Amino acid sequence: MTSLILSPSEQDFITRGVEKGFRADGRGSLDRREVTLRTNMISQANGSARCRIGHLGLGTDVLVGIKAEVNTWTPGEPESLGSIVCNVECSPSAAQEFEGRGAEDLNVELTQTLDRMFNGPQSGIDMAKLCIIPKQAYWVLHVDALVLDVKGGIVDALVWATRAALLSTKLPRVVVESIADEDGNLQSEFDVVDDAEDQVAIEGVENLPLSVTFNQIGKRFVIDASEQEEAVTQASLTVAVSPQLEICAVQKGGFLRGFPPSLLSEIMQTARRVARDEFAKFKELYETAASNQTGDEPSTGSTFLGAF
Amino acid sequence: MSGAVNDRRRINGPARSVEPIYTPTVLDSVAKGRSDGRGLDHMRPIYAKAGPISDAQTTASASGSAFYEQGSIRISCAVYGPRSARKPNARRAHFVCDFQYAPFACSKRSPTQSTDEHETSLWLSNTVGPAIRLEMYPKSSIDAYVTVIESDGKMATLAATINCISLALADAGIETYDTVAACSMGLRDSQWIVDCTHQENAECSVLVAYMPSVDEVTGVLQTGKTTLEVHEQGVQLCTNVCVRVYAVICRALQASVE
Repeated sequence: MTSLILSPSEQDFITRGVEKGFRADGRGSLDRREVTLRTNMISQANGSARCRIGHLGLGTDVLVGIKAEVNTWTPGEPESLGSIVCNVECSPSAAQEFEGRGAEDLNVELTQTLDRMFNGPQSGIDMAKLCIIPKQAYWVLHVDALVLDVKGGIVDALVWATRAALLSTKLPRVVVESIADEDGNLQSEFDVVDDAEDQVAIEGVENLPLSVTFNQIGKRFVIDASEQEEAVTQASLTVAVSPQLEICAVQKGGFLRGFPPSLLSEIMQTARRVARDEFAKFKELYETAASNQTGDEPSTGSTFLGAF
Repeated sequence: MSGAVNDRRRINGPARSVEPIYTPTVLDSVAKGRSDGRGLDHMRPIYAKAGPISDAQTTASASGSAFYEQGSIRISCAVYGPRSARKPNARRAHFVCDFQYAPFACSKRSPTQSTDEHETSLWLSNTVGPAIRLEMYPKSSIDAYVTVIESDGKMATLAATINCISLALADAGIETYDTVAACSMGLRDSQWIVDCTHQENAECSVLVAYMPSVDEVTGVLQTGKTTLEVHEQGVQLCTNVCVRVYAVICRALQASVE
């Protein structure tokens, strides 16, 4: 993460505040900052979303684009499943140290975190439906995330944006024809329908998980740590929860300390409780975003950056 | 898949070659027992050795080294440090793990490093790091280089790696709060079974790295979906097995001193 330098008194202030239940911006320990969500702003992508956690100018800003491509099956791959490939890149506009290869470690870590949550049946997506013709062709969903600004809570922003992007993704319809050739064998061919109106959503996207990151500061933990709070964090735990309140992925970060098993158990219970509210909030924001894109805003470049 | 990887550092094989396709073995349900006859909560037998691997002192320049075997998982680790770090003013030691599969370690050959290895290196630093007393070694760096010679089950290999690094760190004489012991579990037929091999492909796995003396979980990793209750049960069982693994590691350390 960006290395924010805090003085020992600032560190002490934050740590003791959190232990008494106070956070620098007045939130409770389980409160998330305000989230802004926009979808379908990239016309070239099959689906896209932009998520900002925090208010304008001081938030973590993530842009996710989904591109669907057809891949040819090669021996050794699963025979009738599609695939999701995640890629996260931190733009140097987020922090100076991300310039060149500076963000490489962070990119790899975030990519694998997203991959752990979304690539596979645990994401809730019906991977079998992404297969076009078994042993021949399947859809690959490329999830490309661009981190534009980092002010703490990057994993949650990524997951929110990815979920919104996948929900808004429309795949072109595919027509599969099976023709018997001279030997009587069945050959299958497929055709991608090139009609912008004739598109389908991905099956199972409503089951996609959301993540909650818990940062341990002192003896207590907080959700959605700001940049300063992350600088004082000793250990963190990211929990991905599905809408059915199942645990999809758990990952511990931070190398300074571990969790006692009782605290771990408490965090998992809290994660499930908090996830309920998070899904409700997400649904509200997503529906507002989806209804907003029908042309009320002028579609110029300044809108993309400014009004967000 | 090797694909058309043009690796200039090596003499390349054919541009395209694929692994032969084996007919998948269908495993019986868990109720009928495991394919190698183990109990549901039995780990594979562990062999651990701390200290230079051969008498020829090939790893003599390393501060500490360890060789760890768990069933057919074979891992070797060398720890260098504390040695001077690039950042002269750091108040804590800089702990870095370098994780690498040997090209022949997994069922698919991959001669170049993948992002998987890179991320595992970062994750290992986060999992073993809490055990080290980093503030005792300011301005220095501690590096652990891990090579997986043979892998059998992704999560199980990760768990074995953590055990190996802990052993090597202790052999290097680096001050730690405790030795980290790790173990993994897979969920099959709604039952948690310890230490899954590659063949026992579990749809959901949990890995816990635990320090028994300090009662702290330094690493939790879950892949796959499960309910909270099942997850908690898995983590609890895993922690219990970690204590047994811890005993094995400590005995290996004792043996290396005698």
